[in-house]
Amino acid sequence: MLTDEELDRYGRQIMIPQIGEKGQEKLKRAKVFIAGAGGLGSPVSIYLTAAGVGHLRLVDHDTVDLTNLNRQVCHWTADVGRRKVESAQEKLNKLNPNVTVETLSVTISEENASELTAGYDLIVDAMDNLPTRYVLNKTAIGHEVPFIHGAVNGFEGRAMTVIPGKTACLRCLYRGPVPESKFPVIGVTPAVIACIQATEVIKVLAGIGELLENRLLAYDGLNLKFTEFKVQRNPQCEHCAHL
Amino acid sequence: MAVKVHLHLTLRQFTNGEEIVELDGKTVGECLKSLVRKYPAMESSIFGKNGKLSNIVEIYVNLQSAYPNELAKPVKDGDEIHLTMMLSGG
Repeated sequence: MLTDEELDRYGRQIMIPQIGEKGQEKLKRAKVFIAGAGGLGSPVSIYLTAAGVGHLRLVDHDTVDLTNLNRQVCHWTADVGRRKVESAQEKLNKLNPNVTVETLSVTISEENASELTAGYDLIVDAMDNLPTRYVLNKTAIGHEVPFIHGAVNGFEGRAMTVIPGKTACLRCLYRGPVPESKFPVIGVTPAVIACIQATEVIKVLAGIGELLENRLLAYDGLNLKFTEFKVQRNPQCEHCAHL
Repeated sequence: MAVKVHLHLTLRQFTNGEEIVELDGKTVGECLKSLVRKYPAMESSIFGKNGKLSNIVEIYVNLQSAYPNELAKPVKDGDEIHLTMMLSGG
């Protein structure tokens, strides 16, 4: 049931036929795990909070640094030195007190990912490295929940939605390890990709629209072009072939 | 009509900014060999050791993933190959 305040707060999105009060109630009942409170995690968490997704768990082991502030919009100058999850929680709570924002300042690993994400309706990839993305991909498949992938570099980004057992997963395209390095990025890029991810989350939760299933959406911000690549499941995939 | 190869942003430094290069080849592998013959400095960005594709490279033929065995995928005149890179930032 939505309160009068919620009917008011979400009134403009409730007007959307695909959402309505029923869709809004689905968002309110949902639990979403957001892996990362940085460039992608900040806008994802802001927009899911604004939309009224009832329960968010935000996990990030990092503290706010000045070099984060060109893009990690949950964090402000006065937050430098603070744990990112605390900084984010404060802003998200002020944005929408109806949303429970649970935070953990821990490193996501093979050892803890399953437990951290247990009971959540889906997992949002807001990571900054591939190895942890693969951990989360495998974890989502283990829990059989959607995994909303996003990644950025400079003016480029990409997004794809993994539905375990139905679509290609991140590991389906794996060729081998890739060296990690500091990546260039401007805030508008993760903003675009995070909004695409948040859109996918809302669509999954409300059961509406067409998801980025077996579709890798590649964004080129310099030329303002989107390219949609089709991907397919790998029958030998070490993460999802068994499903 | 040849095969159009769409190059990732980071590879265009080798082609004076050109995004699309037209090449001949009956497979993705042949087209990439032609590409590297034309722009030798690009080789180490696309291929790793033993002539295998670098782990970071992704190949799409007519917007469809060519994975696995990308180099062996057949192509014909008029086809389009996208040579792009995996992203990992966030």
